[in-house]
Amino acid sequence: MPTQYPPLEPLRTTYRLRFLTDKQLDDLQSATLTIMEKTGVKFPSKKALTIFAEHGAQVDWESQIVRLKPDLVFKALATVPRFFLMGARNAGYDLQLEEGVTYFTMDGCGVETIDFDTRERRPSRKEDVGVMAKIADYIPSIGFIWPMVSAQDHAETAPLHEIDACWNNSVKHVQSETVMGEIPCRYAVEMATVIAGSREELRRRPQFSLVVCTIAPLVQDTAGIEGALILAEAGLPVGFLAMPTLGTTAPATLAGAFAMGDAEIISAAVLMQLHAPGAPVFHSLMQAWADPRTGGYVSYSLDSRTRYAPVEMAHHWGMPSLGACYGTDSREAGTWQGAAEVALDPFMAGLACADIVTGMGLSETYTLLYPEQIIMDVDLYQRARYQLMNLDVNEETLALDTVHAVGPGGHYLGQRHTRSHIRESLVRGVTHQIGEDGKYQNPRQVAIDKVDWIRKNHNPEPLDIEKQSELRRILAAADKEICKG
Amino acid sequence: MESETPALQPIKPAYHVRILEDEQLDQLQSATLEILEQVGIQCPSEKALQIYADHGGLVDFSRQVVKLPRQIVLEAMLHAPRYYTMGARQPSFDLKLDGKALYCATDGCGVETIDFISRQRRPSKKDDVASMARLTDYLSAIGFYWPIVSAQDFPKTAPLHEIDASFNNTVKHVQSETVMGEWTARYAIEMADVIAGNERARRQRPPLSLLVCSIAPLAQDREGLESALLFAGAGLPVGFMSMVNTGSTAPATIAGTLVTGDAEIISALVLIQMAYPGAPVFHSLMPGIMQPRTGDYQSSTFEGSLLYPLGAEMAHRWGVPTLAGVFGTDAQVPGWQSAAEAASSLLLCALVGAETGSGLGLVESCMLLYPEAVLLDSDVYHRVRNEAAGLDTSPEAIALEVIKEVGPKGHFLAHRHTRTNLRQRLYSDLTGQPNQGGGYRDPIEVAREKANWILENHHPQPLDEAQKDELTRILKSADRETGH
Repeated sequence: MPTQYPPLEPLRTTYRLRFLTDKQLDDLQSATLTIMEKTGVKFPSKKALTIFAEHGAQVDWESQIVRLKPDLVFKALATVPRFFLMGARNAGYDLQLEEGVTYFTMDGCGVETIDFDTRERRPSRKEDVGVMAKIADYIPSIGFIWPMVSAQDHAETAPLHEIDACWNNSVKHVQSETVMGEIPCRYAVEMATVIAGSREELRRRPQFSLVVCTIAPLVQDTAGIEGALILAEAGLPVGFLAMPTLGTTAPATLAGAFAMGDAEIISAAVLMQLHAPGAPVFHSLMQAWADPRTGGYVSYSLDSRTRYAPVEMAHHWGMPSLGACYGTDSREAGTWQGAAEVALDPFMAGLACADIVTGMGLSETYTLLYPEQIIMDVDLYQRARYQLMNLDVNEETLALDTVHAVGPGGHYLGQRHTRSHIRESLVRGVTHQIGEDGKYQNPRQVAIDKVDWIRKNHNPEPLDIEKQSELRRILAAADKEICKG
Repeated sequence: MESETPALQPIKPAYHVRILEDEQLDQLQSATLEILEQVGIQCPSEKALQIYADHGGLVDFSRQVVKLPRQIVLEAMLHAPRYYTMGARQPSFDLKLDGKALYCATDGCGVETIDFISRQRRPSKKDDVASMARLTDYLSAIGFYWPIVSAQDFPKTAPLHEIDASFNNTVKHVQSETVMGEWTARYAIEMADVIAGNERARRQRPPLSLLVCSIAPLAQDREGLESALLFAGAGLPVGFMSMVNTGSTAPATIAGTLVTGDAEIISALVLIQMAYPGAPVFHSLMPGIMQPRTGDYQSSTFEGSLLYPLGAEMAHRWGVPTLAGVFGTDAQVPGWQSAAEAASSLLLCALVGAETGSGLGLVESCMLLYPEAVLLDSDVYHRVRNEAAGLDTSPEAIALEVIKEVGPKGHFLAHRHTRTNLRQRLYSDLTGQPNQGGGYRDPIEVAREKANWILENHHPQPLDEAQKDELTRILKSADRETGH
C-alpha cells in the first residue's frame, strides 16, 4: 500500500541577506557583458552557431566563437521567466518557484556506492538510483529528485535508465544532470510525455528538467547544448551550470571566476531564448578551487565567502537560480569534515533565497554514495529551516501568566502551558535520538537505521502499469538505437 | 624562547541581518519589564537589596524579592555603555567592542580533560588551564580567553589559580566565569591590578572581566552578585548570563523562555548601574531546550541554535553589548555533530552584530576538553569569518584583462594574476592536507598534531618576573587564608 505522503518542507525565509550591493551586481554584470562581447564563448555546434547568426550575433565559424553585443543579450533575456512551475507526477508535489521559498534536491551524479546491505564499495548501478529516489521520495526536505549515481549497468543509455528509475520510485519532479545530446534528449522528452500524459500537459506542468554543464573557460559542450535546445523546444526547464576552478580554468580571484562563469551561463541562456522565446531556464554557478600543491579539485576552501553570491547574480539577470549545497570533500559519511565544510550551506542558500538547490547525500566531492549521508545532510537542512523561520511572539508564547504563576525560584514542569508546548519545543534531529540504554545514539547509526527503515517501509505511489510499460518500450528503443555502435 | 602571538582575526561581517522585527523586540522588552515590575526577582543578598531599595526598587526584605518599576529599569539602563574596550596584556590584543567585529573566546568551565599525552579521561587541573591558554594564545580565532576547565587541584581557590594560569600563558584578555563571592573577587581584582599596573590603566584597559550566572527562574546568586558589584566598582566589565531551560526553568515556548532569561539579566544589570552608573556590563542570554525524557539542558537542537542570536538582538535592544553563545556542542566527541551544530549559529551571531561570543573547545555540553577540539572549532570559525567577509569586486578581482588574454578553452595556471592571487586564497590547514601515497589526511588527526606542535613551539611573551612573583604572592595569601 502506498505510504501517506507528508507535505514538503521547503525553506521559507522570513529575513534575508544581500551579499552584494547593487553596484557590485552591476559591475559583475557589466564584466559578463564585456566578456561575451569582446572575448566571446565557443559553441562547437553548427545548430547553435546558426541560431546565433540568424539573430545577429557575431559568429566566427572557423573558431566557433560567438560574440554577443549587450543589446542582443538583453533583448533575448527579456523573455526569460523569473519564476515557473516544475511539475511532479503527483500534482501535490508541483513546485511553483516563488520569492522566499527554496526547494532542495540530492547530489549527483556519483559513480560509486557503499552497498546498502554488504557496505562494500562498488560501482554504482540503476538499482541504487531507484533506492535513493525512493528514500528521497519519503523525505519532506527534498523537493525534487536528482538521480544520485550513474546507472553504470546501462552503458550509453545510463541517463535514460536513471530517469526511469526515478519515476518508478518517486512522485516528485525529476531533474537530470546527465542526459546529453539530441537523441537521448528526444527520448527523455518522450518519457516525460508519458508521465505527463500529453505534450501540452508536459509544457503546462513540466515534470522533467535538465542541468547542462558548461566547459570552463568559456566553452559550451556540443552534446549538452544541442540536448538543451530539444528540451527548450518542448518547454521543459533547462539550467546551465558553470563550475569555474580558481587558478586553473578561471582567474584566481572570486569576482573574476564569477564573471567568467556567468558569461558561460548567460551565453547559453541567450541561445535558448533566441531559439524558443520564453523557455524556462535557470542559472547555476558553482565555483571551486585548485589545490596548488596537488592540482586537485577542492569544493570547500577555508575562504568560501559569498558562496551564494551567484544566486544574486542569477536574480539580477531575472532568472531563477540552482544553488549548490553540500558536496563535501570528505571521503566518508559522518565525519567532522563532512559537517564543517557544509553546515552553513543550507542556511546561506536560504538567506540568499536560492530558488532550487542541489547537493544532498554524496561524499568524496560528489562521487561516492553513502546511503546514510542524505539523512545527515537533511539534518543540517532542518537546522537551517528552523533558523529561517519566524519567531512567534504573542500572548500565548510569551506566557506571562505562567511566569507569574511560577514566580522566582520555582519550576515549570507542572504547568499546563508546559504540557501544551513541551512537545513542540524540542525538535530532535539525528543528534538527539535516545537509544534503549537511555543514552543518545551515534548520529551516523541513527541515519543508517533510518535509511533501512525507509527502504523497508516506504512504498511510493506506483506509476500506472501502462506508463511503466511505455517507459520500458522507450528504453528498449533507446538501447537499440544508441547502444547499437 | 619567546614567540610572537599571531594577530587576532575577529569576524567582521560585511553585511547584517535582523531576525526580529521592531514590533517583536518591543513585545519582548515589554514582557521583560512586566515580569520585573509584577513578578520580581529573588535576590538573596542584603547588600544588593539595599542598593535596589535606595534607588527606587520595591524590596520585600523578608522574601528577598525585588520588584522594579518600569521607569526605574529604563533609567538605570540608560547609564550602561553601548561600546567599550576590554584590555589585554599587550595593547594590540585589546578588544574594541564597537559593533563592527565579533571576538570569540574559548568555552568554559569544563571539569574533565582528555589528557594531552596519555589520552585518558581525567579530572581537569590547573596545568590544563595553562596549556590551553598557551595553545589558544597562538590561534587568531581566539580573541580572549576563558579558563577552559576548572583548576580542581586547587579546590578552594580554583578560580584564582585559573586566572593565574591564564595571565601567565596568554597576552590576551582574560574573562573569568568562576570567580564567586566578595572574598575571591577582591583577590582577583588585585591580580588584575598587577597586570594593568595601576588603577587608571585597569579602568581604561581592563585586562580581566567577569561573567556571572543567574539562577533560573528569576533568581540571582548572592555570591555572584556580590563579586560582580566589586568588579564593577573596580571598573572591570561584568556580564550576566541566563541559562534558562525551556520547559523546566522557563515556559515551554521560545518567546517565554527569552523573556524569563532577559528579566534575570536585566535585573542584575540594573543593580550594577544603580551602584556604579556607567560601569561596563554585558548581556548574555544562552537558553537551552529541555530534553523531555532526561531533563537535560540541550544547547544545540534545531530551534536551539536560533536562541543565541536572538539573545544578541535583545541585548542590543537594551543598548548593551552581548556575549553570545557559539559552539558549545552536545556531542560526546569532536566529529560530525560538533561541526554540524556550530557553524550557522556562529554566522548568525556575527550577522546580528554580536560583539563577543564564547564556546570554542569543549564537548559534552561544555564539560569535557579534547585539546584538538579548539583547533577544529577554529577551522569552522575561519570558514564563518570568510563567509561573512563580503566579495571584492575591484577591477583586479574581476580580472577582465586576464580573462580576455586566456580566452575560450585556455587555462589560467601560468598567468601572473594567478600566481599573485592564488596565494591569497585560504585553504584549511586541517582539511586538504595531502597524505603520503595520495588522498588527504584525517583532519582530526592533523588537529591533534597541530595542538602538540603549538604546545611544543609557542611560548608567548611571559609576564615580568615581578608580576609573576606578585601573582604568586597573592595566590599564596589566598591559599593560606583558606588553609590550603
